[in-house]
Amino acid sequence: MHDTDTLAEPSGDLEVDVAGLTRVEGEGSLRLRVRDGVVQEAHLEIFEAPRYFERLVVGRSPDEVIDIVARICGICPVAYQMTAVHAFEQAIGISIDPAVRDLRRLLYCGEWIESHALHIYLLHLPDFLGYASALELAKDHRSEVVSGLELKKLGNSIVGLVGGRAIHPVSVRVGGFSRTFRREEISSLREALDEGLEIALATVELVSGLATPDFHREARLVALRHPSEYPMNEGRITSTDGLDLDATAWPTEFRERQVSWSHALQSRGRDEQPYLLGPSSRITLAGGQLHPIAAKALEATGLRDAIRTNPYRSIVARAIELVDAVAEAIDIVDRYVPPSVAAEPWRPRRASAGWATEAPRGLIFHAYEIDDRGLVRHAQIVPPTSQNQAAIEADLAAFAPRVLHLPKAEATHRIEQLIRSYDPCISCATHFLDLSVEAV
Amino acid sequence: MTMTAELERETIANRPNHGPTPSVDVLVCGSIDRGDDGAPFAASELLEADRPANARIRRIGQVDVDDLLSIPRGAGVVIVDAATGIEPGAILELPLRGLLGDESVRPRSSHSLAMPEVIGLADMLRGRPLVGRIVVIGARRFTLGRPLTRRVSAALPSLSRAMRVAIGHVTEALLEQGGDPPRRNR
Repeated sequence: MHDTDTLAEPSGDLEVDVAGLTRVEGEGSLRLRVRDGVVQEAHLEIFEAPRYFERLVVGRSPDEVIDIVARICGICPVAYQMTAVHAFEQAIGISIDPAVRDLRRLLYCGEWIESHALHIYLLHLPDFLGYASALELAKDHRSEVVSGLELKKLGNSIVGLVGGRAIHPVSVRVGGFSRTFRREEISSLREALDEGLEIALATVELVSGLATPDFHREARLVALRHPSEYPMNEGRITSTDGLDLDATAWPTEFRERQVSWSHALQSRGRDEQPYLLGPSSRITLAGGQLHPIAAKALEATGLRDAIRTNPYRSIVARAIELVDAVAEAIDIVDRYVPPSVAAEPWRPRRASAGWATEAPRGLIFHAYEIDDRGLVRHAQIVPPTSQNQAAIEADLAAFAPRVLHLPKAEATHRIEQLIRSYDPCISCATHFLDLSVEAV
Repeated sequence: MTMTAELERETIANRPNHGPTPSVDVLVCGSIDRGDDGAPFAASELLEADRPANARIRRIGQVDVDDLLSIPRGAGVVIVDAATGIEPGAILELPLRGLLGDESVRPRSSHSLAMPEVIGLADMLRGRPLVGRIVVIGARRFTLGRPLTRRVSAALPSLSRAMRVAIGHVTEALLEQGGDPPRRNR
């Protein structure tokens, strides 16, 4: 019943240039060249201006850095804050209160809900239902769009409460938060979460019934895995080919490099092979730790294998994670007891550390060196989209020959839909600094 | 309050058959610490000192559908944002729906949904078009930690005046149509 849109065998030529990709976060383009059925060029061109965050944070204190890196992205600022704060706490040697750990997980749940709802309903669903935009979709599918907006609002309200504001939150501090949260404040989310869970479960039903192109491949998938919970803030870096690394050790296995067609650094494994992050990777590698309600929803779809092999099924993975995040948030709200202090005290010391967490779009890694005054001397920030870029291009090259028989507009649409399957956040990807100083 | 503001208020108040002056929410987009993206915030400070009484200034960063859905019935909106696609420092003041279909003006503070989509979705969910104007200032640099560029900085008083004019236009439009009518059943 699924994967109903089987495509023809490769043949012919195709040139696709999409100057401004739509329904992705940020500004990028697509360039594809196929000659005699052979892909000559498949580039996701990321040209949004680099924003130099790795240099901007040098000389700043950890708490300043946590607020600055949140500005990298308006969709996933929590991912940057969480990764940075854990890296600093690892470097300085701070243990946090279990209630703070819960609050941070709740904050991350809010971001996942907001980001996944936005992508599923307003950016990706129009592709599957044959509409050019969320606005067009809303004319015929008003209730679906309203559902998406309600979930997005729920995510925003969680981030707004725990993070201090819904966009670019400001409350996260080394050792905890800038303030404590009363039980009644956290409990105020409960009713909306109950409603959100119903909508999230309906979302899984909706998206698991969507027809998708019959495109399967075995990609190298990478995600955090934690022994007792679905990965967000903690876990080991694992892969479908057996990798099992400490979260601090990303640089030992992966490399960033520059390519001529992108302002974002691309990442590859030590063996130069691309790898893919995100919801499909997490479901594949850490699906055993899904909340029981989400696990049951996944089972009901019968799509676990398809999520691993068909990138168009990432929309189902994202919907399962919506259920997981809402259900997890309910559990956290129900058991919440305020921490004894807002933030653990700490003293600066010379240290360095890295940390990885799971952003909505996949594993994000930060590493910092701080001096004995506690000021940052060096920073490395590796967002998910720049890591995914090589894998996206590899999938694009594999998929392109399958649409050669289609009219160009339809072929272009299928290819854009594929790009949107990875929910690329181009604004995030272009934060890097590449300074070249030539001695005279 | 300046003479101009007094005159604007009297002009509205002296209209025949006027009811209560409708309120106007001014949604200020951008980021104060991101170069020219801070222009709307800076201009809103100028406006605040001399704000028309029926206007409420809300600094929101990015326009979300919820921001537009939260505009009270009977009220209107003015959205202020920095944009590429026009000369740095140049100012446009146009109806909300003037953005629909204009690909050349690209607000830079929202990278989730394009502004026309946000406006269109809000209109649909409210049941009828929201009465509003958008004021954009052409911007050049959006770099975190950098100040306003010279041309944009010099245009701040003009931007503040344009915001005031937009508030006046929205107020008049609301008075002419007797307020933003109730939404249709959802």
